[in-house]
Amino acid sequence: MQAVILFTVLVSTYLMVIAKRTPALIRSFRYQSFCLFLVTLIIALREHQLDLYVVAGLLFILKIVFIPQLLYRTIKKIKASEDLGLFINPQLSLIWALGFTYLSWVFSTHLIGQTDAVRVILLAVAFFVVLAGIFLMIFRMTALAQIIGLLVMENGIFLLAAMVSGGMPFFVEIAVFFDVFVSVLIMGFFVYRINKFFTHIDVNKLSRLKG
Amino acid sequence: MEIFFILGIPLLLALTCLLIRNQRFLGIINCLGYLLVLFLSVILLKQIALSGIKESFLGFICLDALSAFFIFVIAVVVFASALYSVGYIKKDINIGAISEKKARTYYLLFNLFCCSMFFVPAVNNLGMLWVSIEMTTLVSAFLVGFYNKKESVEAAWKYIIICSVGITFALLGTILFSYAFSISGLSRSLNWSDMVPVAHILDKNILKIAFIFILVGYGTKAGLAPMHTWLPDAHSQAVAPISALLSGVLLKTAIYAILRFGIIIIKGVGFAYFAHLMILLGIISLIVSSGFILVQKDLKRLLAYSSIEHIGIISIGFGLGTPLACAGALLHVFNHAVTKSFMFFGAGNIVSTYRKHNMNAIQGVIKVLPFTGMMMFLGVFALTGFPPFSVFVSEMMIIIAAFTKGAYLIAVILLLFLAVIFGAFINHFGKILFGNMPKGMVKTTEPLTGKLAFLFLGLLICITGFTLVFIKGEWIWIVQKLFLV
Repeated sequence: MQAVILFTVLVSTYLMVIAKRTPALIRSFRYQSFCLFLVTLIIALREHQLDLYVVAGLLFILKIVFIPQLLYRTIKKIKASEDLGLFINPQLSLIWALGFTYLSWVFSTHLIGQTDAVRVILLAVAFFVVLAGIFLMIFRMTALAQIIGLLVMENGIFLLAAMVSGGMPFFVEIAVFFDVFVSVLIMGFFVYRINKFFTHIDVNKLSRLKG
Repeated sequence: MEIFFILGIPLLLALTCLLIRNQRFLGIINCLGYLLVLFLSVILLKQIALSGIKESFLGFICLDALSAFFIFVIAVVVFASALYSVGYIKKDINIGAISEKKARTYYLLFNLFCCSMFFVPAVNNLGMLWVSIEMTTLVSAFLVGFYNKKESVEAAWKYIIICSVGITFALLGTILFSYAFSISGLSRSLNWSDMVPVAHILDKNILKIAFIFILVGYGTKAGLAPMHTWLPDAHSQAVAPISALLSGVLLKTAIYAILRFGIIIIKGVGFAYFAHLMILLGIISLIVSSGFILVQKDLKRLLAYSSIEHIGIISIGFGLGTPLACAGALLHVFNHAVTKSFMFFGAGNIVSTYRKHNMNAIQGVIKVLPFTGMMMFLGVFALTGFPPFSVFVSEMMIIIAAFTKGAYLIAVILLLFLAVIFGAFINHFGKILFGNMPKGMVKTTEPLTGKLAFLFLGLLICITGFTLVFIKGEWIWIVQKLFLV
């Protein structure tokens, strides 16, 4: 079961890397978050901890319902082009992503050794998701893509936390959720502002401040 | 007990911002509130220096001398900044840069920002530490983009994105720390007070990698080069009292976070690893910032790059790690906070009078703003480490420590770049402070509260400078007692 979920996480991340338009990116982000939700739910069922159910519930509300909806609405409202503005075309991006997958595999075997295969795979997938998030932030031009990149990174870290060390303390988990929630709201607010002042959301063209 | 008031007063003040409409009154209440906070933080520092670690609120809050010291530094700068805000915001309203209503928003955000900063040194849990630092970013992003211009929105966006990415790395590092802790067979915990005593049995390999993430993450927030790119933009676009807070204490809270993890690393992996990384980043910061300082045209960006330089010096100081160097670095945290806020207040007055950032277009400040001009004149020497001001003493301590430790190369690099930066600063400020009064400008005076803020900080710069020379021995003793060595 876990293998299937991890595989889905991988696939959804590849989909994000090759996405050309913002709605497609958001959809894949939803798939990825859904996998995380399943992971948390499975752990919760196994360990019978109320905390984990709450975390899973919050994850569902926040990352599957609320944030994607907010992003869709932002796209509609600012009437900006749905193009992500790729610096690197999808084919090349996919090659990069494959490279990242290998890198994170090497990294995680180096970190915890070959003995515990399940953990190594978990760690590798989590690191890969983080790397893919960074990739999206750097090689896509729109402000919205940067927000999603950040959320993807955050997803990777959540995966790491949930599976490697059995989750963080409960109140920290809640506080981190709150933090993600607030940061997405604030970034969304600034996307509106950028759109208002510059009439585009191409962050590559934000270059008034230099030196 | 004091800590509850220190954390609670900013929250209460934020609430009053929602209830009271008169912004002048709000400003004055702010000053009184933060004066009380400053007073309490001094009491707290004294108590903890005498009695050692203190836990409260079910271990949620844990204070040792290091945290108490950082709380004190924050309290000093926040008080000065609250004082300065009163006059500054009033002037902004008078010239129509912001509305009455927006002034209220300013005070609300100011208080929330201060509250989140006070939380950073107070919390015990390393996850909550992360949350508090992320909170400081989120709240201050609005204050960076406060003026609603193209430049400030751009700066705020870069600030929030770069710092969020950085801080995400820090979260990754924090989780790896907790992983190292959990596989060692101990109970699950993220409290630093639980981690430090068992640091030596944690997995070294994981700790090493975790610390790199921590250093990249919080280093971004601290403005260590090469992760510093958000810093000059944000500092130059923020409201002047906020620039002072960003540069004076926000960077220091990130340094605090690095130190918290650093203490665990030193116990777990060994000192050399920590030292090499800190010194490397410190020297890169020094080199990068000195280049930008030499060719800088924008007044506030100049001061922002100088912050990167000083953060570099602090980082080198901790990296050297002898008691003298650590004492110097800790002192430098305080001295830089005070001196840089002082300079940002001056820059704020100049920019709001001349309505320009470009140093080529500013001259004759001493004639236009006599008080600010005089203060800036002293401030430049204080900031660049001229005796008898306080920065000189702490920089000297770090350099002497480098020589006595035998790290000659580091000492020479430090001296070389300090000299270059000194020259650049004197050159830049010589041009803007002296010269003829530009046409169309009249002699203006600063508001009283603004002057008081200058005098308060100026006094601290001079007093610490003079007294430290004599009580250096006690200082080192305190540092030894509370810290690393």
